Amino acid sequence: MDVLLNDDERAVAESAREFLEGECPPSLVRAMEKDPLGYPPELWKKVAELGWQGMCLPEQVGGSDMPLVYLGLVLREAGRALAPLPLHSTAVASLTIARDGSDAQKHQYLPAVVEGKSVLTWAFTEKDPRYIPDAIHMSARADGNDFVLDGTKLFVDNFEAASHCLVVARTGSDKGEKGITLFIVDTKANGIGHTPLVTLAKDRQSEVTFKGVRIPKANVIGPVGEGWPVVRAMVDRGTALICAQMIGATRKDIEMAFEYAKFREAFGQPIGAFQSVQHMCADMQIWADGGELLTFEALWKMDQGLPASVEVSQAKAFCNEKCEAAVRNSQTIHGGIGFMMEFDLHLWFRRVSSWTMRLGTSFEHRARIAHALIDMPGEVILGRPVPAVAEEEAAPTAKSRAVSEATA
Amino acid sequence: MDFAYTPEQEALRREVRQFIKENVTPDVVEELDPHAGAHRPRGQTPKTAALYKKIYDRGWLGIAYPKEYGGQGGDRISQYIVEEEFTRAGVPVNLGGSGAPAILAAGTEDQKKYYIPRLIKREVSFCLGFTEPHAGADLANLRCSAVRDGDHFVINGQKMYTTGAHASTHIYLMARTNRDVPKHEGISIFLIPMDTPGITVRPLWTIQNDPIAPPDTTYGASRTNETFFDDVRVHESCLLGEENKGWRVGSMGLNLDRVGASRYLISVRRDEDIVNWVKNNSFNGHAPGKDPAVRDKIAELWIEAQVCRLMTMRSMSIVERGGNFTYEGSAEKVWAPEHGVRVTEAITQMLGPYATLLNGSPHAIESGVFAHNVMGSFQSGINHGSVQVMRDQVARRGLGLPSARRSKKAEGK
Repeated sequence: MDVLLNDDERAVAESAREFLEGECPPSLVRAMEKDPLGYPPELWKKVAELGWQGMCLPEQVGGSDMPLVYLGLVLREAGRALAPLPLHSTAVASLTIARDGSDAQKHQYLPAVVEGKSVLTWAFTEKDPRYIPDAIHMSARADGNDFVLDGTKLFVDNFEAASHCLVVARTGSDKGEKGITLFIVDTKANGIGHTPLVTLAKDRQSEVTFKGVRIPKANVIGPVGEGWPVVRAMVDRGTALICAQMIGATRKDIEMAFEYAKFREAFGQPIGAFQSVQHMCADMQIWADGGELLTFEALWKMDQGLPASVEVSQAKAFCNEKCEAAVRNSQTIHGGIGFMMEFDLHLWFRRVSSWTMRLGTSFEHRARIAHALIDMPGEVILGRPVPAVAEEEAAPTAKSRAVSEATA
Repeated sequence: MDFAYTPEQEALRREVRQFIKENVTPDVVEELDPHAGAHRPRGQTPKTAALYKKIYDRGWLGIAYPKEYGGQGGDRISQYIVEEEFTRAGVPVNLGGSGAPAILAAGTEDQKKYYIPRLIKREVSFCLGFTEPHAGADLANLRCSAVRDGDHFVINGQKMYTTGAHASTHIYLMARTNRDVPKHEGISIFLIPMDTPGITVRPLWTIQNDPIAPPDTTYGASRTNETFFDDVRVHESCLLGEENKGWRVGSMGLNLDRVGASRYLISVRRDEDIVNWVKNNSFNGHAPGKDPAVRDKIAELWIEAQVCRLMTMRSMSIVERGGNFTYEGSAEKVWAPEHGVRVTEAITQMLGPYATLLNGSPHAIESGVFAHNVMGSFQSGINHGSVQVMRDQVARRGLGLPSARRSKKAEGK
């Protein structure tokens, strides 16, 4: 048990921070808000040379096969710098191909990712934004050697930039987990259209329509009709990784408030000397710390091959509310200047806010946690796995003994 | 980054659980809680002495303390595991708040040799003589005086909220040894046997004492006291640290008290209680555990409780690496107690009028622990440094925010 970063982890995080501080000033973030692709391809190549895209991909495709916590640290730093790079969507898709794709798929798609020649994305959400099987209606009808995709996806990241998109669709049944299948789709395939959305983060998101799009059967990831566990794992990884990004961005945002409070004077002293401001700042720090600990525990559990769905939901539900509250406080401490277009703070505020609304609302994540806590058998003990499993795992307590004696 | 215990630590946990099953019986639990039993005698009883000897013989007391002072020279995480299991079983084995951390840090060789092994074996127990009627959060305002008389001091004054003073063998006393300097610079700490002539202990009954709170209540059935010093003569060897340097020594003791298994557990036990209750219970067919609003709240609180756990793990990790807290211990002392209040209050809204029922009442759920916790949970946000003071520390030590301008009076000039 040592929840602090070890030397290797610290080195990766520090070098990522240093690199982005040099390469990714707020002026670049602003420029990319107006750019149709949303990212500078030359920076994408540079980070590939640093090994970021291939960090957690297998060595057989040129990756470094490192644990997810390292990618989490890089995304934390990318979030801190608001790096306008399609790291998250590419990671979600490429990790899924690496873990659940066939060898042929890995060799076909991943080397280009590792080399920084390809951007990937993924499409789950349709009209109903919840991350549950029943929200998927897009149909994939078998026809000869192909599946034919029809339907509409929303909130798809970086579609214009991406070469391929993982698409969740139904090959059978129109409800529940059964019938869900995951496809690799060429974004330039016939029958695909996309419309940009105008978003709070000023990032690149699209509505993507599929009309009779033919996808070869070889492009199915995982089993046909039984793809829900693959999809669930993909969404969980994506959720944990966006938490890391949120934490990084939140840290930078609140640090700006701490610094501002040290020199901005009112009533003859720095506003940071007022306890009302100090206590806001203390809370902001505590919330960011809590979110970070929850996030990295989730990523670490995934690395160990342990069930981590509850931990992922803990992290996202917490970050959704506490990162938002932290950056809101930061706006408050800055006062009017924080809302000025020319002042940089809003770059962080708008993105953190936006990320709280992606990959599962607080309500959804808490519903998952409640299901694991309440609907599964066994006594729940904090610090032990949820749902509770073996009976002998239960610790004897003064109370449980008193109860058993009373009933004996 | 490693969020797991080692196989050896997991094995230790299993051994401790087995030991508890075999050796910790309700009658001994009742006798050994230092705060339980408003009229229990000073020091150990034969039963509690026998239990602690057994635990000590297994090598489970003072695991992270140096061998030369009666500890095991082991790691802090293993000590935490033992503390967690025994605390859950109602057997205090933690040394936070015992005086041991401060004595280890500031004591003379004689003091360390005498007190640390006895504190580890729990033959000696300290109550804390800090607060006074006019010195609470602003502790440095204290007036209790210790006047030098040759190689002795003569102590006069009154201490408030000396929890467990009636049952402790010693008091860890903060007193003023110099009135003519700024207030933080004239304070000293004394380690004094409670049977020294001139010390009088009177109970201060709290809202938890009638009826007596059930086991596990946050700051439940404790008896607190006011303790009077009338011309109490002590030898100068009772000084902990240098004369007039007590403020620094006192803060060291408090800081080490802020982390560990007991501080964490008192804030999260209700989370476990309510989850396990709603899993198995309903009111005449109405199951609160099926209500989406209740489920949402339970999950929210569960996440907060996980943050309590992880902040404790962070503190343990820092200690295990030999580091010092800048603000992390204070952060934990804000988050965990306030969580304890939030979870307690939320549960009252899940159980409605049932949560008003105290220990012994017909229809009381879990012996009335939730009603008692309404009275107890907020105490942990007040004692050992209030959450407001803790936030000041996070902001100033952790984030480097400037101190507020103080009035001349506050400076003690």
